[in-house]
Order: sequence, then C-alpha cells, then structure tokens
Amino acid sequence: MIIVVDGLNRHMFSEVLDEMFELRARVFGGRLGWDVKIEDGKEIDEFDHLDPAYVIGLDDGGNVVAAVRALQTTGPHMLSDVFSAILCGEAPLRSATMWESTRFCVDTQRLTRGKEKNSVSYATCELMIGSLEYAKNAGIQDIITVIDPVMDRVLKRSNCAPYDYVGETVPMGKVSALAALLDCTDERISGLREFAGIHENVFMDDEEALALFAAKKAATQSPANQDHKPLTELEKYFVEQMSAARNEAERQDVLKLIEALSDTFTPEQKIALLDTPRAFAHEA
Amino acid sequence: MEIVDLSTLPDSEVRYTEFLRQICEKHDMDHAAYAGMNPAAGTVAGFVTYDDAWNEHYQKQGLIMIDPTIHMARRSIAPVDWSRLERSPDFQRVFRDAHDFGLPSQGVTIPIRGPYGDIGLLSATRNCSKEEWRKLYTNFIGDLQAMAVHIHDNVVSSDQLTGALYHPTLSSREAEILQWVAAGKSQQDIGDILSISHRTVEVHLRSSREKLSALTTPQAVGRAIAIGLITPG
Repeated sequence: MIIVVDGLNRHMFSEVLDEMFELRARVFGGRLGWDVKIEDGKEIDEFDHLDPAYVIGLDDGGNVVAAVRALQTTGPHMLSDVFSAILCGEAPLRSATMWESTRFCVDTQRLTRGKEKNSVSYATCELMIGSLEYAKNAGIQDIITVIDPVMDRVLKRSNCAPYDYVGETVPMGKVSALAALLDCTDERISGLREFAGIHENVFMDDEEALALFAAKKAATQSPANQDHKPLTELEKYFVEQMSAARNEAERQDVLKLIEALSDTFTPEQKIALLDTPRAFAHEA
Repeated sequence: MEIVDLSTLPDSEVRYTEFLRQICEKHDMDHAAYAGMNPAAGTVAGFVTYDDAWNEHYQKQGLIMIDPTIHMARRSIAPVDWSRLERSPDFQRVFRDAHDFGLPSQGVTIPIRGPYGDIGLLSATRNCSKEEWRKLYTNFIGDLQAMAVHIHDNVVSSDQLTGALYHPTLSSREAEILQWVAAGKSQQDIGDILSISHRTVEVHLRSSREKLSALTTPQAVGRAIAIGLITPG
C-alpha cells in the first residue's frame, strides 16, 4: 500500500521516514555509489528540509519497501540546483503543473523476483501508480524524474515509458543519471495498472497507516505487559487515555499522569507504559 | 470567460483583487484570496474578495497568526483541501468566526514555492455539497495551479529587489520552440521539425509561458521578443 507523507502529517510518521532514509542510504550510497551524505545510517539532503512530499510503498507488514520524493519545479529543486550537469547548464523547466521526482528507490533485499506481490516489480509499479495518481489529483500534468538507466528500462518494460528526456545522461557514482518526462494522464496510469495487474485503490489513509504500524510494533517488540499479570484497571485506564489522546499535548498529559502515579507501578510496568503506548494500546 | 492577464490590468493593488474576482467567476467560486510572503524583500502581501467586515474582524482578532490555510498549507507541495485541516483547533477557531460572517469552510489552498524562499498561497472557497465540490475540484484544480503561479510571480516581481532577480531564463530548447511559434508554426509542425513529441513541445511552451508570466502563447512570444530572448518572425 501507498502512503503520502508531507509537511502536514510528517510528525505522525517520523519512524517511517527514518526507515525510508535508511533505505535511501543503502540504495544511493551503497548500491548506486552516488556521492550522498549519510549520517547515522540515513541519507538526508537539504531538499528533505524543504517539506517535500514523499510517496512511500509499504508491504503488508508495514515495512518501507519503496519510496520517492516530490518537489515543485517553481521553487528550489534538484535539477535547478544540484543536478545541473544533466541539463548541461541550461535553465530547468519551471511550471506550477510540473513536479520533480527524485530518490526513487525500491528495497531489492526485502523484495523477491517475479511479478507477484512482494516482488520488486510489483512494488515499483505500485509506487509509480501512487505517485502519478497523487500528482494527477493535485492538478499536476507532468513529472520530470531523475533516474538511472536501470530504472529507465524498468519504466519502459512496465508499460510506462517516458515520453521524452531532457538534457543528457551523465555519470553519477557507479551508474549514470538522466532526466525523463512522464505525463500524469489516465492512459499512462491505466497502462501501468494493466501491466501490474493492480486494479484496486493503492492508497492508505493516515489512520489505516497508523494502525498498521501499531500492529507491526506489537508484533516485533515484546508486548508491554509480557511478564506481568493481565492488565489492571489502572493500566487499562491509561491505555484508553493514550488511544483517545488527540494531539501531542494530550499524550504528554497522560505520560505525566503515569509519572505522577509511579508508586503504583513496578519499574518495568512504568517503562513499558511510557515507551510503547501504541503497541500497548493495540494489545489492549 | 477568459481571464485577463495581470500585466494588462491597471497598475494598482485593485488589479489583484480584480484578478481574484475573475477566477471566482470562471470557476464558480464564492471567494478567492491570495497571501504571499517574500523573505528576500521582507514583505507580506494579501489580496481578497471578502467583504470589509470580515477583513476587519480577521485583522482585529489577529486570525492571520493562526489561520491554518496559511500556516499549514504552506508546508504542502500539493493543493490542500480544507477538509484536511478541519480537525485542527485553529481551523475551528477561524472558521467558527468565518461562519458568522456567512463564509463557507469548504475550500482549497494552493501553495506556490518560488526560487527565493518566497511562498504564495491562493485560496478559493465555495458553499456547496461535498459531492459537488469533489466533482468540481477535478476540473478546476489544474487551472487554479496556473493562476496561483501567475498571481504569485506578478506580486513578487512587482517588488524592486526580487523583480530584478526574477528575470526569466529560457533553455535553448524553450527558446527554439518559441522561435518556431513566432515563425507561425503549429505545435504539431514544431514536433515534426524538431523530431520531438507533441507533448514535449507542449510542456516546453507551458514552462516558457509561466517563466514569462504570460497566460497565452502569443503573449509569451511578444514578451520573449521584447526582452530579446528570440527574434521577430
């Protein structure tokens, strides 16, 4: 499934973004050998601080398996600032109805070959469908995308060949990079959907995504009350308060209340309550 | 109805309001508003079609400080349908008041980011059923994007400092295509002459028009000739 994370909802998805930045470090720093800055295992550049939109592909377990970043071409973006070599020093295209897409990546380690769900091909197509539909719904008509020749071949094979290219193919790390043009038309999207056999809605809304991540946490981390008796009434009360909290301030209030009543809990219980509110809530 | 290019309207603040009125008329909107921030020039601009009573209340209450259609929408790259902001307490605060002035809480804000950290926000509102709004949305959203960049570029370049920075640069492909238009060739012809797709011609023309703050291709040709980017015919 696909989620869109931007400046409005990124505070809810910081862990997903971290996972994506780690994937980008493996792909662009590792596999493609681009000259990117990696800190703490995460690849983050100055454009990530400009509130871009991320279209992110998740597998059924809530793991990040694919991602791409979108910026407006009217403002600062990669082709105008750092990829100018591709344009041979020429002025970039600028239009309110054209977005730039960069950092397209897919987790080839986690995904399998073939065309089934959980394959590289499926995740790539699903992400392409998500990006094109997100752009189209925003009134965007074209996307200019910076990709490597492998990705270019994948697009051509997936019934989604670029309609043209801008500038030149230039060496970049172990590979090379080029700028391709894609229209956000129904024809392109349906062609891609036909090829991938994906006919259902690909988007997940914020609530569904949060529920998926809570389930993922509950499954991977040991349950908060693993070594304890069943939930006490007081613990249940906190779980309810935590899941009813509508914003960060209210969440903080619950945490403060737990702190204030710390005598009532064993240290383990307290840590569990404070650390994994979501997983705990899911448990309950 | 065709929208009149901003530069051809009388040179005063009224022309922006007039432009917003035209947008409302074309897309059947109740109201439209533009807010722009230009940190390089240190200026803030605002133009609206709302009544004076609401404008006065909005200013007096300092609603601009909390209005999420400004402060949240600017962080998106896509148009923000106000339904996405509904749950924020600030939204409820602003639109409870707006309701008393007969203004709807159904609308959209289009954020435009400029090259110098400048941001423009074009908002449009309409009181109608959700279904109708959704249907209309698909039709007007692309055009509103183009209108948003048009008004924003005009406001920013009317400032002396940023106006000097904002001079348009065309790529050689863009200039080449515009030159063929000036020579009277159709988009189809140009595609054939340059052995590029029809859509490539179209996308370069769209970019050239916006760079030259023109709403039509003939206008873009005129400006490009005037500032010496291409030669006449």
